[in-house]
Order: sequence, then C-alpha cells, then structure tokens
Amino acid sequence: MMKNTSRFQLPQLSRSGVACAVLAGSVMLMAGCAGTPPTEQIAITKAAVAHASNAGTTQFAPVELQSAKDKLARAEQAMEKEDYALASQLADEALADARLAEAKSESAQAQKAAKDSQDASRVLREEINRKAQ
Amino acid sequence: MKKNHLFALTLISVSVLAGCSTMPQSTTLDNARTDYNHAQANPQVVKLAPLQLKEAGEALDRANAAQVSREDAKVVDSLAYVAQQKIALTQETAQRKSAELAVSNATAERNKLQLQARTAEADQAHQQAAMAELTAEQKTAEANLARQQAADAQAGAAQDQASLAAMQAQMDELNAKKTPRGMVITLGDVLFDTNRAQLKSGGERNVQKLAEFLKRYPQRTVLIEGFTDSVGSNSSNQVLSEQRAQAVSKALTDMGVSRDRVSTKGYGEAYAVAGNDTASGRQLNRRVEIMLSDERGVIAPR
Repeated sequence: MMKNTSRFQLPQLSRSGVACAVLAGSVMLMAGCAGTPPTEQIAITKAAVAHASNAGTTQFAPVELQSAKDKLARAEQAMEKEDYALASQLADEALADARLAEAKSESAQAQKAAKDSQDASRVLREEINRKAQ
Repeated sequence: MKKNHLFALTLISVSVLAGCSTMPQSTTLDNARTDYNHAQANPQVVKLAPLQLKEAGEALDRANAAQVSREDAKVVDSLAYVAQQKIALTQETAQRKSAELAVSNATAERNKLQLQARTAEADQAHQQAAMAELTAEQKTAEANLARQQAADAQAGAAQDQASLAAMQAQMDELNAKKTPRGMVITLGDVLFDTNRAQLKSGGERNVQKLAEFLKRYPQRTVLIEGFTDSVGSNSSNQVLSEQRAQAVSKALTDMGVSRDRVSTKGYGEAYAVAGNDTASGRQLNRRVEIMLSDERGVIAPR
C-alpha cells in the first residue's frame, strides 16, 4: 500500500520540483533574506508580549513568559544587526511563547475558579443537608 | 486540515522511503508531530479548541514543508518550536474551556440548591406561621375561658355576697342575735297572753317573717325552745314552756313551713336570762327562743 503510494507520488514530486524551488525562494524572501525588515511582525510580537506580561502569567507561566521576553529582546537585537531572517524567526517564537503563556495562565485561573465553584457547591450541599436533618 | 496534514506526513514518509538519507533530522519536529497526534486524539481538544488545533496543524505543516524543502535546520527547528507551542496552546485552551464549563455547571447547581433550600424554608415558614396561628387561637380561647371563669367567679362571689347581705338583713329584721350556738331569735313575753300559749298578733308578725326566711333558705331548720319565770309550779311552768314552743311551731307550719324542719322543746323555768326577783327580770325570763340551724340543718345542743 505504502509502496504503491510512493510510486504514484514520486513523479508528482519531481514534476513540482520547480514549484518547490520557487516556494523555498519565497520562504527565504519572506524570512527577510531579501532585506525587508519585519517591522510589523516585531510590533505585533511586542504588543503580544506586553499583553501577556501580567500577574497571572508571572504566576502560572513564568517560563513561557520569560522565553517570550528573551526572544523578543533577541529579535530586536537582530533587527539592529539587520539580520531580518533571525529577527522574524525569533519574533515568531516569542509570539507563540507569549500566546501560550497567556493560555496557560487563563487555563490555570479557570481551573482554580472551577475548583472554588465546585467546593462552594459542595459546601452548600452539605449545609443544606445539615439543615434538613 | 487533517487531510492536508496526512498529505504532508505522506510526503515525509515518501521522502524517507525514497532514500533521501541526507534529509536533516529535527528532534523538535519529531516531538511536535508526536504532540500533535496526542492533541488530535484528545476529544476534549478536538471539541473545545478546534480553531487552535487547526492553527497548530498549519504551523506543523509549515515546519514539515521547511524540512522537505531542506531548509536550514535552525529554520526547521524554529518552525517546529512554534508548532509545538501552538499544540500546547490547544491543550491549555481545552482545559480552560472545560474549567469554565465546570464553573457554570457548579454555579447552576448552586442556584438550583439555593432555590430548593429557599423553597423548603418558605414551606417551613408557612408551616410555622400556621402553627403560630393555631397556637394564638388556642391562647385566645384559653384567655376567653379564663376571663369567663373569672367573670363567673366574680359574679358568683357578688351573688354570694348579695345573698349573704340579704340574709343578714332579714336576720336583722327578725332581731336575730349571734350566740355561740348560732343565730337566736327571741320572742318576748309581751307577744303571748299571760299564762296562755296563744301568740298575740304582734308575735304572729314576727313568726311570719321567720316563715318567709325559712322558705327562702330551705336548708335551714329551727329549734323552738320555750322558757318561763319561777312563778308557779315547776310542772305547770314546764307545760307552759312546751305549749308556747308548740304554739310558735304550729304558727310556722300553718304558714307553710314543713313540719320536719321545726322541732320544739320546753325548759320550764331553767336557763333564766335574768333574776326572777324583779318583775322586769321575770318578764325577760318568760320567752321563746328560736335557734336557727346552720346551712346543713345542724343545731348545736344546749
């Protein structure tokens, strides 16, 4: 089955070899190889990291938050050195880190709230049962 | 999206199988693929974080594509890292939403419990109010009864007092005197003809009053005692005293007083109340005394 698929797929891959090269080229172009500074991307990441820097993430996702801050700093340094490919790559990672940090923090807080809420329900249930006796 | 991803995986397998042994290996990308498979197998993630899972799949596709097109290992690693973070994000998102659902479920449960408790409390309050009302009614009834009894008692006391006062008034009219033996009415000698047992009309009026009194207080009886002075023989005095007592008794029974309530006794010249050496003393000794019994009809013996 796998072999059949392989035999069928191989020529297709060869045929699209040119397309592949073009794609790789464009990826390099997008990465900033051609010298276009990823200013917008840095700005977005900066805003995301700033937004993620709060008490919740400091408590519940300190590793991710620190990673996002470090990578953003390094991305900015790369910008200064005009290494736009590295800057873009680091900004991408920092953005993913910042978003994950926020998600982790929100999740932890929601889980805490769920536990509190369930505890409150349990207490109320017990209290009502006690009264009913 | 799953199809796309499968296609990408197929491409990789194809490349590997095709003998591209020079293709650089990325541990980060391998880990990302494993993580992604876990996320896809997690129904909670599929259900609660579909958008995040799609984005993670796209990020993984980009990393795979970079590897296929033999980009720099650092670029592949970086893209794989981003994919990994996005896969982790799907888990966190799913957990958050699940927790939020738990919060709202618990809140709903609490609201329900509180409503039930409040309903039960209201029912209890109704019951208590009904009980209180019942108790209040009972108390009112009790109070009314007590008031009635008090009023009755007061009325009874007033009646007793009134009847007592009336009796006293009648006794006063009869010139009754209180003695250690009880109430005594003395009919003096002047109410009889000399040496006769016949009552004069004045004496009859006194007896009439006594008869009325006896009719009014049917539980009382009388003992009629006759006395004389020392003039004359003992036997004649004895007879006279008996006759005079009987004369009063007859007058009473003639006036409607039952015979069994009246008894008589003659004492002759005994029990003198004054000296027989003067005319006035002898007059005091010639008398009929009527002893009134107590309420039970008892008369203390002389």
